Amino acid sequence: MEPTRTDLVFVGLAVGLGLLCYGIGGAQAFGDALVQATTLVLNVLPQLAGGLLIGGMVKQLVGRDRIAALLGADTGLRGLVTATAAGALTPGGPFMSFPIAYALWTAGAGAGVLVTYIAAWALLGLAKLAVWELPLMGMEFASVRFLVSLPLPIIAGLVAGRLSRLRVFRFGTGAQE
Amino acid sequence: MILSFALIWFVAAVLSGLVFRATGASGLRAAGREAVGMFRPLVIRLPCALLAAAFLMQIVPLDLVSRLIGAESAMPGLLAAAALGAFLPGGPMVVFPVAVVLQQAGAGAPQLVALVVGWSVFDLNRLLTYEVPVMSGRFAALRTLSCLALPVLAGLGAQLFLAL
Repeated sequence: MEPTRTDLVFVGLAVGLGLLCYGIGGAQAFGDALVQATTLVLNVLPQLAGGLLIGGMVKQLVGRDRIAALLGADTGLRGLVTATAAGALTPGGPFMSFPIAYALWTAGAGAGVLVTYIAAWALLGLAKLAVWELPLMGMEFASVRFLVSLPLPIIAGLVAGRLSRLRVFRFGTGAQE
Repeated sequence: MILSFALIWFVAAVLSGLVFRATGASGLRAAGREAVGMFRPLVIRLPCALLAAAFLMQIVPLDLVSRLIGAESAMPGLLAAAALGAFLPGGPMVVFPVAVVLQQAGAGAPQLVALVVGWSVFDLNRLLTYEVPVMSGRFAALRTLSCLALPVLAGLGAQLFLAL
């Protein structure tokens, strides 16, 4: 497989910092870093593979249409709670979540619901948690971070509901913008 | 490590069962292809990112880190960590290795929570490449403003939680 430009950036970063480390810290620091990175890679890769498998499975189970249907039904605080759940379940990167948000917007969803959905996807996305945070940061950090983040999308949605009454932030549905 | 490994593979196994029941073997194959497709670019990048982070940790002045965003740094530390998270480029493959380095360099857990949350909700990179083009600048501004307090709230929440 051909290395891409992004691959080369990462390789360059590793080599550059490696030289810098050797220059500043000497062979001892360089060796320590090498051992540490190897241990981490061996720890992380098997978990990462599992996390990506989870992402693939979730995508099979929860399609774009299902998330949109879930979100269209409720309004008010219940709508925000539903939006939080939908955001947490949305797999994949921004190429998945923002098109869903746009579709909801054109379907008439309010600013509060949209902001809650995006914030929940960013903060509580289960796929991201499994792929990155759990393997790298460990169970304790990941669970504390997740728990304290649980109410945040709803807070953001309530703030957005208020702000969207201001003239600067008043807009129609996405189609007119 | 063992615990999160077991948890991840347990969830993966349960989900595989659900997918098999819903769509049969074709769904499993599609999910597997998707996972392999996402894994492939990481094979080079992730080891390099972790290696770069480990080298960085050897040369970064550790006392500076713990002074800026250590457990004792309180509110200014939370704000600094949130801002750092917002401006870190390059997605989870950069952010989490950097967070691991900072964790080992003595950053406080609440400060790291603020960093991860700050990156999650602000991520300038994502804002410019996805949110503004898809949702409009006005929506991006409204959303960013609505999320402004979240990293500090999360940091304070973590502080309370860990004090229990």
